[in-house]
Amino acid sequence: MSTQVPILAAENLGVRYGSFVALSEVTLSIRPNTIHSVIGPNGAGKTTLFHALTGRVRASSGRIFLNGRDITHVSDDKRVPLGIARSFQVTSLFQNLSVRENLRLAAQGRTPLRALAPWRGVDPRGSALAVADEVMERLELTHVSERAAGELSHGQQRRLEVGMAVAAKPRLILLDEPTSGMGIDDVEAMKALIRDLGRDHTVLFIEHNMGIVMNISDTVTVMRAGRVLVEGPPALVRDDPEVRRAYLGNMITGDIA
Amino acid sequence: MNRASLHFLLAALVAAALPLFMRSGTLASEVLIFAMAAAACNLLLGYTGLLSFGQGIFFGLGSYAVGLTLLHTSLPLSLALALSTLAGAVAATGVGWLSIRRQGVYFVMLTLAFSQFFYFLAYTFKDVTGGDNGLLNIPRPAIGPFTLGNSWSYYTFVAVLFLFVFAALQRVASSTFGRTLLAVRDNEERARAIGFPVRLFKITAFAVSGAVTGLAGALHALLIGVAPLSSIEYHMSESILIMTIIGGTGNLFASVLGAGFYVIVSDLLSSIWPRWLLLLGGLLVVVALFMQKGLWGLLERLVEALRSGRKSPVEAPVRPESEGRGI
Ligand SMILES: Nc1ncnc2c1ncn2[C@@H]1O[C@H](COP(=O)(O)OP(=O)(O)OP(=O)(O)O)[C@@H](O)[C@H]1O
Ligand SMILES: [Mg+2]
Repeated sequence: MSTQVPILAAENLGVRYGSFVALSEVTLSIRPNTIHSVIGPNGAGKTTLFHALTGRVRASSGRIFLNGRDITHVSDDKRVPLGIARSFQVTSLFQNLSVRENLRLAAQGRTPLRALAPWRGVDPRGSALAVADEVMERLELTHVSERAAGELSHGQQRRLEVGMAVAAKPRLILLDEPTSGMGIDDVEAMKALIRDLGRDHTVLFIEHNMGIVMNISDTVTVMRAGRVLVEGPPALVRDDPEVRRAYLGNMITGDIA
Repeated sequence: MNRASLHFLLAALVAAALPLFMRSGTLASEVLIFAMAAAACNLLLGYTGLLSFGQGIFFGLGSYAVGLTLLHTSLPLSLALALSTLAGAVAATGVGWLSIRRQGVYFVMLTLAFSQFFYFLAYTFKDVTGGDNGLLNIPRPAIGPFTLGNSWSYYTFVAVLFLFVFAALQRVASSTFGRTLLAVRDNEERARAIGFPVRLFKITAFAVSGAVTGLAGALHALLIGVAPLSSIEYHMSESILIMTIIGGTGNLFASVLGAGFYVIVSDLLSSIWPRWLLLLGGLLVVVALFMQKGLWGLLERLVEALRSGRKSPVEAPVRPESEGRGI
């Protein structure tokens, strides 16, 4: 499309769990400052793709590039300072710590070695806390800032889950089913948030809600059985017969704005 | 007053009150020495979620280091203690570095294996460690103008160091480092996913814990004039862990309670009944089953009951704990 260097690229990426091939020959290119969604039926390998891109699982074949730099063998924690952050499909928070502390830690994760000095206190005017407050404001969590994350409602926990990725101020943000299990109102708010995030981040997100996918994505990648089935702008993907078959024709219902 | 200053005040009160209640300066010193060791263990167990059976290694090496330095060199006491602290830190860095490669049960087994390894090492190199007899006749030189010959003057020295160490550990626990350890204990996967090199943090926690434990071991050797083989035995690791768990793992002062309880009760019971360890085992079962926040949790409930009793006859709602939780 353009000669622009993709912010993230995967080349023939494969992941195996034991002898089970969860991902094979996935080639993907994410253009900077776009909203890119990944869809596909259950078990298609979407989460596994995220795991490989963020370093949670090792790629058994293929390579991953961030801004042209090969990061295939960079460990997951070291990819965060490079500008990748993610949220999880299954909420994974610091249950016993307060909402503010969860987000402060997530913000601190960009410069993790600064937290290694055992004598350095938490600066009350430090940037990590400021980021935490800003993210709480954005996700409407300010009123529960001192509550333990484990005590939040499901919807609030899902918002905090996304907030953990936002607090890292990444260039590329990966969201794994950010709306899963949310009520209607929360889903609308999340849609607005993702669109908003797209203005100053590159967003890669997995979503089953086609209303959101078709509305706010620049590019949609459809996966099935560990492979990329189709990739393209929403309108193209929506009318693709292969995609309709993959979904048994009944899941793509969202309108394109 | 915030929680940390309150806990420091409580620790200072314990240090000041022990001489009033105890006949023996040796026993009082032992309480504070083991309080340091237990608090250091708590940093691993309560803050990082690491059940280490290696604490006896660091304690024992501290004992040997101070003994060997004072017996074979003319270095001053302060330097001998610094060397013991360093020995504990270095050993803990190594043991931690290797052990945290495995998680859960395998981690625990590794620390246990190291504990056995160092014991046999000490047992085998009799020329250096004195083997079964221990390293005997360790002198207790003066520190600057202060002589430490009298058991209460030595207690004063130990108490000052104890308070210094306690404050330092508090500082560590409340630093960004300590708060990251709490996050690691809570959800290690997420800690890594947001960018923290979890292993590096665990190793550093080990180093700090080992340093303090080494110092405690050194002070203990000076106290009894011997670096006994039992200091590096598996049983030492176990005792330190038991003190930590009985006290409670929610905060550092709980470890002072645990150590005090263990040392004093052991002393009382062992003179009455040689099978007293049975009782201690029973107590541990009770703590594990019914009071996971340990003696500290009990104290908290007591204070709560007194407060609500004074305010109104209606039972006050139970306040959710805001600091670290038990294991
Ligand atoms: N740790 C694992 N070990 C073995 N198999 C796994 C593991 N994780 C996932 N799988 C399998 O890999 C396949 C892809 O799983 P993945 O979670 O990536 O799918 P997904 O597209 O995210 O599905 P969903 O929409 O349900 O979240 C599934 O068949 C799953 O059972
Ligand atoms: Mg998934």
